[in-house]
Amino acid sequence: MDLLRDLLDKQVLDRKQVKIGKVDGLVAELRQGKPPRVVAVELGSITLARRLGSRPGRLMAWLAARFGGERHAEPHRIAWNKVRNIGVDVEVDVDVRRTGIFDWQDWLRDRVIGRIPGA
Amino acid sequence: MKKLLEISLGIVTSVGGFLEVGSMATAAQAGATFGFQLIWAILLGTICIIFLVEMAGRFAAVSGHTIADGIRERFGFNAFLWPLLATLLVNFMVMSAEIGGVSIAAELATGIGFQWWALPVAFLAWLFLWKGTFGFIEKGVAILGLVTLCFVVGAVMLEPDWRQVAAGAVPSLPGHDAASYWFMAVSILGASISPYLFMFYSSGAVEDHWDKTYLGTNRAIAGLGMSFGGTISLGVLIVAALVLGAHGINQVNDYHQLPLMLIPIFGFWGFVLLVASLAIACFGATLEIGLQQAYLVAQGFGWTWGEDLKPRNDPAFCGVYTLSLLLTAIPIALGLDPLKLTIFSMAVTAASLPLTVVPFLILLNDERYVGEHGNGMISNAAVILIVALGFVLAVVSIPLQILGGS
Repeated sequence: MDLLRDLLDKQVLDRKQVKIGKVDGLVAELRQGKPPRVVAVELGSITLARRLGSRPGRLMAWLAARFGGERHAEPHRIAWNKVRNIGVDVEVDVDVRRTGIFDWQDWLRDRVIGRIPGA
Repeated sequence: MKKLLEISLGIVTSVGGFLEVGSMATAAQAGATFGFQLIWAILLGTICIIFLVEMAGRFAAVSGHTIADGIRERFGFNAFLWPLLATLLVNFMVMSAEIGGVSIAAELATGIGFQWWALPVAFLAWLFLWKGTFGFIEKGVAILGLVTLCFVVGAVMLEPDWRQVAAGAVPSLPGHDAASYWFMAVSILGASISPYLFMFYSSGAVEDHWDKTYLGTNRAIAGLGMSFGGTISLGVLIVAALVLGAHGINQVNDYHQLPLMLIPIFGFWGFVLLVASLAIACFGATLEIGLQQAYLVAQGFGWTWGEDLKPRNDPAFCGVYTLSLLLTAIPIALGLDPLKLTIFSMAVTAASLPLTVVPFLILLNDERYVGEHGNGMISNAAVILIVALGFVLAVVSIPLQILGGS
């Protein structure tokens, strides 16, 4: 499989088929004398900003930590052994509610959207 | 039978959704100033949008992707940012113009200045998106939008010289005002080839779970629906050419001149029809572009999206259209001239098209996405030529128009 072509930027679905984001980055482990091995996929704004350059990456990490707390100072990672199926979408055996990925959407729902009548 | 119903519904949707402030204003201006001479621009624009809409539906049906998903996945996030930002910006301007169009209709109907209507209109649109489902919005816009057919009826009742109309289908050089002729040609192309239209269509196809069995349906809807839509634009142009010209108006530079178009044909009801057409067409487009902004961002970043979900289940998606509606209403509420904004944003649309259309065409020729259902030579060539023409004309004529100062 060509990782950059067939995996990067694909839609990620969690165990309950919830759209939780895109494969924003891949984490590979360099091994002595052996080919590198993918250990995780990364999601979130910090990873995206890093793809634009190291400076946007640092800025986004600072912003995320500033507004989301230390928990959000690093990108969200999903271990490779949780990846179940790679088709049109990438399915992972994770429950998004047990991760911090939707923290900001939860905040938006609880503080803004959910307070508007009819939500 | 079910397919036939689906096809007719799809055609009604495309017809009702085709006319919006851009096609209405540009066709009226072109007709008033240049008679039938710019009909070719409407034809070229319509041919191009037929191909693009067909491609958008085919891409969604075969690959299961929306256009935004596809572009990001195929070209990566960094490259995706360009079409994303360009489309968001163009959509922002066009949406503001649409809110302006509804506000003008409200002003014509009530006499209360248009800037007072911008925020109420945006609020009403928001309410529809907040409470409505995709089907409700799509079908509501479509059925009410059929009122815009009054321009076609009007054009036929005026009994134009059809030979002259046909002569306008062949591009020709202007006899006067060359700069504004080319600028209008660009604006018409931009108004016909709206990126939000085909991107919205692909989101709709995914929302409605299209698969390969829909390819024929898709072809019929794209071909017939967009042709009928283009016919309405043509109707506006013919009416403007015959009525406004006869009243000595050869430049539409104010929305208040528009009601005059239908009054000589339908009397007082002409006024009502025009106000209703303007209000409904622009309101429908406001809803569709608002949704499209939310689709685009949510699909680009992989968030949960869907107009049929309750807002609390896709808060980010709803947040995008809420914010878009609020922000796009502001320029109109501050009194920015809706007509100038409309014409200008149509020209900018034409200039921005290569950024969205080129990656899209590459996807439609990529076997990994569309398999054996890739583009043929003719559709590729037609879209490339028309989009290139629009882009070149835009790059040349936008600066001229700004310097010319009209």
